[in-house]
Amino acid sequence: MNDVWERVEPLLRQVERPARYVDREWGVVRRPDAGYHVALMYPDTYEVGMANQALQVLAARLSTLDDVACERVFIPWVDMSAAMRAHEVPLFTLESCTPVAEMDILGITLPNELTYTNVLEALDLAGIPLRAHDRGETHPLVVGGGPCSHNPEPMAAFFDAILVGDGEEALLEIVASHRASMAAGLSREESVRALAGIDGVYVPSLYLVGDDGVVRPVDDAPARVTRRVLADLDTYVSPTCPVVPYADVVHDRATVEVLRGCSRGCRFCQAGMVYRPVRERPADSIVRDAIASLRCTGYEELSLTSLSTADHSQLEEVLRRLANRLEGTGTAISVPSLRLDSFTVPLARLLGDGRKAGLTFAPEAGSQRLRDAINKNITEEEILTAVDQAFTAGWRRVKLYFMIGLPTETDEDVTAIAALVERVFAAARAATPPGERGGLRVAVSVSTFVPKAHTPFQWDGQLPIEEVRRRQVMLRQAMPRKGVELSFHDAGSSLLEAVLAKGGREAAAGVEAAWHAGAVFDAWSEHFSLARWTEALASAGIDAAAYAAEARDRHGALPWDHIDSGLSPAFLRAERERADRAETTADCTFGDCTGCGVCPGLGVDVVVAGGERRG
Amino acid sequence: MAEGFRLRVCFRKAGRLRYLSHLETGRAWERAARRAGLPYAVTQGYNPRMKVAFGPALPVGTAGMREYLDITLTRFVPVAQVQEGLGASIAEELAPVECGYVSPAEPSLASRLTIAEYEVELERGVPPQELERSLDALMRTGGFETEHKGKQKFFDLAVALPKEPEVMSDAGRAAVRMWVRMGPHGSLRPETFMSAAIGPGRPVAVTRTELFIEDEQGWIRPL
Ligand code: SF4
Repeated sequence: MNDVWERVEPLLRQVERPARYVDREWGVVRRPDAGYHVALMYPDTYEVGMANQALQVLAARLSTLDDVACERVFIPWVDMSAAMRAHEVPLFTLESCTPVAEMDILGITLPNELTYTNVLEALDLAGIPLRAHDRGETHPLVVGGGPCSHNPEPMAAFFDAILVGDGEEALLEIVASHRASMAAGLSREESVRALAGIDGVYVPSLYLVGDDGVVRPVDDAPARVTRRVLADLDTYVSPTCPVVPYADVVHDRATVEVLRGCSRGCRFCQAGMVYRPVRERPADSIVRDAIASLRCTGYEELSLTSLSTADHSQLEEVLRRLANRLEGTGTAISVPSLRLDSFTVPLARLLGDGRKAGLTFAPEAGSQRLRDAINKNITEEEILTAVDQAFTAGWRRVKLYFMIGLPTETDEDVTAIAALVERVFAAARAATPPGERGGLRVAVSVSTFVPKAHTPFQWDGQLPIEEVRRRQVMLRQAMPRKGVELSFHDAGSSLLEAVLAKGGREAAAGVEAAWHAGAVFDAWSEHFSLARWTEALASAGIDAAAYAAEARDRHGALPWDHIDSGLSPAFLRAERERADRAETTADCTFGDCTGCGVCPGLGVDVVVAGGERRG
Repeated sequence: MAEGFRLRVCFRKAGRLRYLSHLETGRAWERAARRAGLPYAVTQGYNPRMKVAFGPALPVGTAGMREYLDITLTRFVPVAQVQEGLGASIAEELAPVECGYVSPAEPSLASRLTIAEYEVELERGVPPQELERSLDALMRTGGFETEHKGKQKFFDLAVALPKEPEVMSDAGRAAVRMWVRMGPHGSLRPETFMSAAIGPGRPVAVTRTELFIEDEQGWIRPL
C-alpha cells in the first residue's frame, strides 16, 4: 500500500474546503495492515456522500470482519481533480491515502442517474479502465449497488458486478467469495464469474442483449437476478459509531433507520416499489441505537430515517422516550419527511420540542383526481388539517413537493397545485397568531415526473420538455405570490434522468461520450449541460428527447426484465390501469395484502414492530 | 445556576487538521464536549445551543499550538478529569493542551486576545542572511500597501507588528517568528507580510504558536 499523502498535501493549499480530503475525523477505523482492502465510494462530493446512510451501514458490517479494511472514497471537486491531474496524483482513499487502484475491491453506490459520469470520472482519476472488459488482473473488482441497480443496463459495461437489493449480508458474501478466489489463485475472470453465484449479484459480462431487447445469460448464470432482501432489520444494529465529519455535510446528524420499505404504493415511486415489504425496527432497538449513536458521535441532532418515518407503528412511543432521555441536552430530533395523513397533534408536539426545522410534505399533485391516479392516498381535507395542526403547534415554515408531467395530468391538474397552495397558505395563516405572520413561509418545490423501472409507470413516456416548460409557466402564473417561494427542478436534468432511467445497455456509450465531453457533477446545476448530453447520446445513436418521451408496450420487453425485484408484472400492469381510472390501492402494511408479489416471491413478510405480521 | 462554571480549554490545531476552517474546528469541539459527557450549559429559547465561545479564527491551513475556547458548565468538574475526558473524545491533532477555570465575568476570548505569535516556515532555498536583509528592508519602510479583495489596504507596521520579527534557522531551513496585533479591523496575515518582504508565491507553513492578552503588565497568557 502506497500512502500518497505527501503528494496530496501540497494540493490542499490551492483548493476549496480541504477538509474534504484530510480524513482524521472522529470515528474513523483504520486497519492499514489488513489483508484485504475494500474501498466504498459515493459518486459525489464528500459533503453529499457522508450523508449516505447505506454506506455507513455497509462500513459497519465490514468492520465486523477480521483482517478487512474498509476505506471511503468520494469524488474530488473540480478544483481538486484538476490539481490531481496536473500533478499526476491518483484518486486515493481517505483512511490510508492509498491509490484506489491498489484496493482489492471498489464498491460504488449508484444513488441516481445524475451521478453516472462521476463514476467514470472516479475510475479515470484512479487509473482504472472504464470498461470492465479492459481491466487487468491487478485492478480492483468494481462492484455497484444502490437504487440504480434496479435498471443497471446503462452502467453495466463499467461494472464487474452489480448487487441488487439490501447489502448487509450480500456484501459480506461478495467479500468472502473474492477472498476465496484470491486464495485459490483464480484469475480475474474466474473471480468475477464466482460472484454470479451469490444471490442478488448481477455479472453483466455473463449476459447479452438479444435483437429483441431481452437480456439473456450466455451460459449457466441465472436467467433473472433476484433482489436481495433482509427479512428482519433487527438482525443488525443501526451503525452507532459512524464517522463524524468536520466539514458541513448535507445531513450532519446522527441517524437511526427506523424502518425499511414503504407500501403506500405511490405509483411513480421506485423506492416504494423496490424496497418492499415494510420492515419496522422495534421501539426498544431504535431508542437503544439512537442513544448509543448520540453518545458515540456527539451529534446535536438525531434523525429517525426511512422512506416514511411517520408510518412507524411505534413512532410516538419512540419520540416520547427519546424526548425524556434527551431533555436538557439541546439535542434536536427530526423526521426527514412526513406523510400528511400520519401527522398528528401529539407528533407535532413531540417534534416541536426540538429545533423547529421546517416541515416537508409531499402532496405531489394538486387535484384529488390526479392524487388518486398516482395513488397518493390523501385528501385535501387531510392536508389542510395537518397544516393547521403544524402551525398551531408552532411551525412557521412548510415545504410542499409537487410533480409536473405525471401520467394522465391535464392543465386543470397543474393549476390545481396553485389553488391548493393558496388554501394551504390560508390555513397556515389562520393558525398563526397575527404578530407572527411575517415569518410565515410556504415553499413549493416542483419537479418533473421521471418514469422509473419497476413501477406501474415504467411503460410511460416523459412529457416532452417544451410541454413541461409550458406547464411550468402556467403554474408560475397561477401561483399566489405572497409568502410563497416557488422553485422548479431543471427540466433538462429530468429529461436526462428519464433517458438513463429507461435506458438499456446502448446508453453506456452515451454516458461515456458525455464524460469525455466534460460532463461531471451533473446533479450540480452549474455543471450540467443538456446540450452536451444530447450530443453525446446522439453519438451513441440515442435521440434523447424521443427516447425519454417514448411510451412502451405494456406487454413488450423492458431493459430491466432480467432484474427480479419481486414485483409481479401483472400487479404493475393492473396498477397502471387503475391509474387511468383514478382508482386507489390501499397500503398493505396495516391492511390486507394487495398482491404485489414481493412477499411470496422473495420469501419475506411485512414486519410491524408491534409484533403483528402480515404477509 | 446563576453563571455556571467557565471552563477554558487551550488546544492544538495541528497536523492534517490544520486544514479545518474555524467553523469546522468549532463544531468538532462542541461534539467532543458532548462525547466527553461534560455538563455543558445550553442557551435558552427557540434553538438551544451549547454555550461555547472561541478565540480569534485561525485560517484554513494555518496550524495552532495554543488556541482557546471557553465553555460554560452547569457543574464543577475537576480540571484533570475534564482534560482527560476531552483528550479521549477528540482527534489527536486537536488535542487539549491545558484546561482551567476562569471567572464567568471575564470578557470574551475574541475581545481579549489581541496578540498572536506566529512561526512562518519557508521552503528550503531562502538563505537566512538574505531573509534577514529582506525583513529589515521592509521594516525600515514603516509600512506597505497590498491588495485585499480588490481594495488597496495599507499596513502601518508600527501598529500591525508590536515587536520586530526574528529570523531563525534550523538545519538550513529558514523560519520567521513574528508577533501580530489583532483588532476589530482584522490583522496582518503572516503570508501577506512575508510576500511583501520576499515576494509572492513562496510556499510557507504557518503556525500560530501563542495567543496573548495585552494589558498594563504586558502580554499575559489566557490560562
Ligand atoms: S406481497 Fe402483499 S403484503 Fe407483501 S408487500 Fe406486496 S402487497 Fe404488501
